[in-house]
Amino acid sequence: MRYAVLSLIAIVIAMIFLFPFYWALSTSLRNPIETFTVAGLGIPWVDFQPTFDNWISQLATAESRRAMANSTTIAISASVLALILGTPAAYALARFGFRRIPNRDITIWFLSQRVLPPVATVIPFYLVMRTLGLLDTHLALILINATFVLPFVVVIVRQTFLDLPVELEEAAFVDGAGHFTSFWRIALPLAMPAIAATGLIMFAFAWNEFLFAITIASQEAITIPVQMAGAVDTRGVQFWFMAVRAMIAMVPPVLIALLAQRFIVRGLTLGAVKG
Amino acid sequence: MSWTSRIRFVFLLPAVIWVLAFTVFPLGYSLYLAFFKIESRVEVTRERVPVLDEQGEPVLLSSGKPRMQNVVHKTQVTTSEFVGLFNFERLVGDPQVATAIRVTAIFVLVAVPVELALGMLLALLFNQKLLARPMLRTVMILPIFATPLAVGYLFFTIFYEEGGPLGFLGIPFLSNPDWALFSVILVDVWQWTPFCFLVFLAALQGMPDELFEAARIDGASNIDLLTRVILPLLQPTILIVLLLRLAEALKLFDVPFALTGGGPGVATQSYSFLAFRVGLRYFDVGYASAMAYVLLITVMIIVTLFFRRLRETYG
Repeated sequence: MRYAVLSLIAIVIAMIFLFPFYWALSTSLRNPIETFTVAGLGIPWVDFQPTFDNWISQLATAESRRAMANSTTIAISASVLALILGTPAAYALARFGFRRIPNRDITIWFLSQRVLPPVATVIPFYLVMRTLGLLDTHLALILINATFVLPFVVVIVRQTFLDLPVELEEAAFVDGAGHFTSFWRIALPLAMPAIAATGLIMFAFAWNEFLFAITIASQEAITIPVQMAGAVDTRGVQFWFMAVRAMIAMVPPVLIALLAQRFIVRGLTLGAVKG
Repeated sequence: MSWTSRIRFVFLLPAVIWVLAFTVFPLGYSLYLAFFKIESRVEVTRERVPVLDEQGEPVLLSSGKPRMQNVVHKTQVTTSEFVGLFNFERLVGDPQVATAIRVTAIFVLVAVPVELALGMLLALLFNQKLLARPMLRTVMILPIFATPLAVGYLFFTIFYEEGGPLGFLGIPFLSNPDWALFSVILVDVWQWTPFCFLVFLAALQGMPDELFEAARIDGASNIDLLTRVILPLLQPTILIVLLLRLAEALKLFDVPFALTGGGPGVATQSYSFLAFRVGLRYFDVGYASAMAYVLLITVMIIVTLFFRRLRETYG
């Protein structure tokens, strides 16, 4: 009895959290006129005849394709760059001792970059990029997104290295391998699954970034969120296209959340809580 | 265990230098800007010049005089003037700033506790035996990674007052200033309660079952179990989640940008949103930098309050 009641409550709650996704999908499959007239739950085939017209016309625009290509390029480049910079630093903080400033304080320094309000860096970053002639370029957005996700990489991957047994590296060391070799040949391959999962989560963060994208990108470098905001500005709120664009924006990071599911708790709490 | 070979600097320094270049330097530059009044304007000058043909010779009118045309020169002139603490003084008396602080404070003080409390309740529920528990848990993860800007626009269609799915409630979700702020909070609660839930659930499942059994044998009620055993043991986790949510909530920008555009009026114009507008739409860069710095210092104070906890966590 208790099992049935609790299960029912849990199912209802999960449905409530799922509803906005369902609504986006349902709206995206309607004729424009039906987006305003279909009442209630808008169940396809029951309340309206679903159509892919909105998807087809939205995906056919050059602007949409550019936004998708840009978002993908920027998010991948930024995550890879952050992993390349962050993984060795994470290893250094996990395995070596820094005397002047204790390791944990360096770690917290990296961590504190993450809680900084981005609005404090967006203005100077905009001015610097304007001076360098890098406004509306992929490069500017790759640099800034790499900067945003770097602290995550350092803190999470450090925890991964700490969880690895150090004996293997010490044994390699005794056998005459240098620190770099034991990092490259032993620690890195062992940590790879966690590093890959971190990379996926970083991709999702960079994909979702909006404040800097809207500031830096105006045409060539627009990401999906910037395109969404621009479309509303110029053409008003078209529910049917908005639903399609919201789906396009949300599906990749949400799929990533499913892929990296086992790793999410650690990723989101910066290694503070193990999932 | 800690090695001290010099190679440690080769590992660490690229990341440190990167942060110095792309975070610390901009922050320093921002602080510098906060002491200036910066104005950009376009100066327009007109000049009459002769019209030239393809060979570069002036085109002559029938009267023999060269044909003339007006040329307009536009140059962007940026002036900056050192104004000391003037920008910070302006903040104190600016009603827009006062409103933005109020909006952000209400948002943070309502949304964050609700997310933590609701997340804890859901975690306790999902820690029980349930039908299809792994699948339900997976569903709960989805909102966390949904693009916040897209979520804002998506909820715009859900809060649509005439004929949206919640239209039957007759609530002016976006047209009434108080309800609009409530709607922004609701969206945040939808997106971030799952985060709190997930972390608390992970922590609960990491607790040994014997603990609960022992407490039961000692005759502890459910309430006792929660307040005397579970919450004290979860305290470190709760503090980390609280810190992360506080810092994140203070950045509020994407959802009001998409959902309400800061409106109606300025009813949902968060502090970050106002600083963005002032700096990057009206280009009052010095003033916006001063505004941003006040937020930065607020976040710094919060992090400092949690510093000892962080040191234990990352020790």
